[in-house]
Amino acid sequence: MTTAPTTQRSDLRDSRGSRPNRLGNILKPRRYQAEGLEASKRSTRALLWALLAVAMVLYGFPFLYLLLTSFKTPLDTIAVPPTILPDTWTLENYINALGRDGVLASIINSTQTAVISTILSLVLAVPAAYGITRYKTPSGRVFIMAALVTRMVPPVAIGIPLASMMSSVGLADTPIALAIAHTTISLPLSIWLMASFFEAVPQELEEAATVDGCSRLGALWRVVIPVVSGGIAVTAIFAFLASWNEFLFALLMTAIRSQTTPVVIANFQTQFGLDWGSMTALAAVYSVPVIILTLLLQRKIVAGMTLGAVKG
Amino acid sequence: MRITDRRFALYLMAPAALFLAVFVAYPLFSLVADSFFEISPVLGGPREFVGLDNYVQAFTSQAFVGAGWRTLAYTLLVVTLEFALGLGMALLFTLLGRKSQTWRTVFLYPLMIAPIVAGLLWKFLMIDNFGLLGALLHQVGLLRDPNQIGWLSNPDIVLFSVAIPDIWLTTSFMCLVLFAGLQNIPGELIEAARLDGARAPAMLFKIILPLLRPVIAVALVVRGVDAARAFDSILIQTNGGPQSASETMSLLIYNTMIRFGEPGLASAMGTIYLIAMLGIAFVAVGTIWRPGKDS
Repeated sequence: MTTAPTTQRSDLRDSRGSRPNRLGNILKPRRYQAEGLEASKRSTRALLWALLAVAMVLYGFPFLYLLLTSFKTPLDTIAVPPTILPDTWTLENYINALGRDGVLASIINSTQTAVISTILSLVLAVPAAYGITRYKTPSGRVFIMAALVTRMVPPVAIGIPLASMMSSVGLADTPIALAIAHTTISLPLSIWLMASFFEAVPQELEEAATVDGCSRLGALWRVVIPVVSGGIAVTAIFAFLASWNEFLFALLMTAIRSQTTPVVIANFQTQFGLDWGSMTALAAVYSVPVIILTLLLQRKIVAGMTLGAVKG
Repeated sequence: MRITDRRFALYLMAPAALFLAVFVAYPLFSLVADSFFEISPVLGGPREFVGLDNYVQAFTSQAFVGAGWRTLAYTLLVVTLEFALGLGMALLFTLLGRKSQTWRTVFLYPLMIAPIVAGLLWKFLMIDNFGLLGALLHQVGLLRDPNQIGWLSNPDIVLFSVAIPDIWLTTSFMCLVLFAGLQNIPGELIEAARLDGARAPAMLFKIILPLLRPVIAVALVVRGVDAARAFDSILIQTNGGPQSASETMSLLIYNTMIRFGEPGLASAMGTIYLIAMLGIAFVAVGTIWRPGKDS
C-alpha cells in the first residue's frame, strides 16, 4: 500500500488542537482512498500502461534531445536534416560554454543569489507564519491575505522601481540586490507553506514547554522549530528554485558583475550568433543539478508543490 | 514585563511585513506615481506631470490593446490545454494505482527546469531549417516540406508555438494538484457509483469532476495568474515577434520601458495590468481560498 504522494507524516498529520482545513483534507496522507478508481481488468491495465509509456516518451523526449545535442559537435548541432543521436560524442560544447568569459562567474552568482534569497525568505517567513498560525489575530489574517495578493503582482511592474531603489542605495548589480528582488517572489509562498506546516503542530507541545519554564520564543526555537524542520526544508527548496530559475528581475537588475546564468543563456543568442551547441550545454549544466536534487527529495517537493498550489 | 500574545504575534510578523512594504508596496507606489509623469529615460532626467496622458496613450495604442487580447488568448490557451492534459495524466496515474509511482516522479522533472531553458529548447525544436519538429513531421509524412509550418515565423500561429514550452513545463504541476485531489475522493463513493452501474463517462462528469471542483478552481486560478505574466520563454523564442504577434503584456511593458525608453507610459501600462491582475486575484481569493477560515 502506498500513501498519497506527500511528505513525511509528521509534517502534515492532523493533530488534536488544529481542525483540518480544506488543505488538510486534500493533503492528509491517508491511505490511497480512490482505490475504487484503479482499473481492474488485465487488458485495460495493459492498454493504460502502453498509453503511459507513449506519454512519457513524448514528454521526456525534448529534454533528452537537449542533452543529446549538447554532446554533438557544433557543426552537427545545426545539421540539416537534424539527427537525434550525435555522430561523434564530444564534450566540445561544454568546454566552449564553460570557458566563455563570465559563464563560471554567472553560475557562482546564481548560487550566491539563490542562497541569500533562501536564507532571507526563511528568516522572515518562519516567525511570520508562526505568528499568524499560533495567535490567529486579526492583523495576522490581514497580513496573510496581503502576502497572497503579493503573489499576483507581475514582476515587470515592480522590477524597474526596485532596480532604481537598489542603485540609489548603492546596491546596483550585486547578488544582494537580486536576492532581495527574488525574495519578494518567494516570501509570500514561504509564508503560506510555513503556515500550513505550523498549523499541524499541536499547541499542547508549546504549552508543555512553557509550563516547564520556557519563554515563548524559547518554546518556538527549542520545541516547535525542530518539529517543523521537514517543512522548513521544503520551503527552503522552493525559495532556492524560485531564485535559481528566475529571469526577469535578473535581466533588469544585473549587469556585468552579478549576472546570473539564465541571463547569460539568453545573451548567448545575441552575442555569439546562434551558438546552439554551447547554449544547450550550458542549459544542461544549469538544469541537471536541480533535477537530481528534485529526484532525491521528490517526496518533500511534491508535498510542498501541492501545498503551494493550493494555498497561493 | 510580560508582553501580550497579540503584541508578540505582531513582533513575529513585523520583519516580513516591513520587507514586503519596502520592497513590494513601495515600488508599486512609485510605479503608480510614475504613470502620471512624462519621464526622460536618462537616469535623473527631467520629469513633467502630464496627468492621465499616459493612460490615454496606452488605451489608444494598438500595441497595448493588442497585447491585452494576446495575453488573454495566451492565458486561456495555456491553461485549457494544460488542464486537459494534466487531468488526463492524473486520471491515468490514478487508474494505474500505486505501481505508477516511479513514473509520477519522472513526470515531475520539467517543473524544475528554468522557463528560459524550456523556451530555448523548444525554439531549437521548432526553428526553421534544422528544427527537429518539422523534420519529424516530414518524415512520418504529415508535412510535404520540413519548413512548411513556420512555427515561430508565421504571425498567425506563433502565439500557439510560444505557448508550447509553458504547457510542457507546467502540465506536470496541473497533474500533480489534480492527482492529489483524486486521492481524496472516498473509495466508497466510487464503489457505490460502480454498483449503481455508472459507466466511465458518467463517473467522470457526474462524480469525479464535481468532487474535484475546489481543487480544479484553485489550480486554474494559480496557473492563470502565472500564465498571464509569461515573459521568459516568449522573450527567448521570439522576443514578441514576428510583427508583435507574440507580444504579451509583460513583454510590451518591458520593451516600452527598456527599448523605447518611455518609463512614464510603461508605468501606466504596468498600473493597468496590475489592477486587472489584482481585480481577478481578489475575486478569486474571495470565492475560493477564504484564508484564515477553516474550510
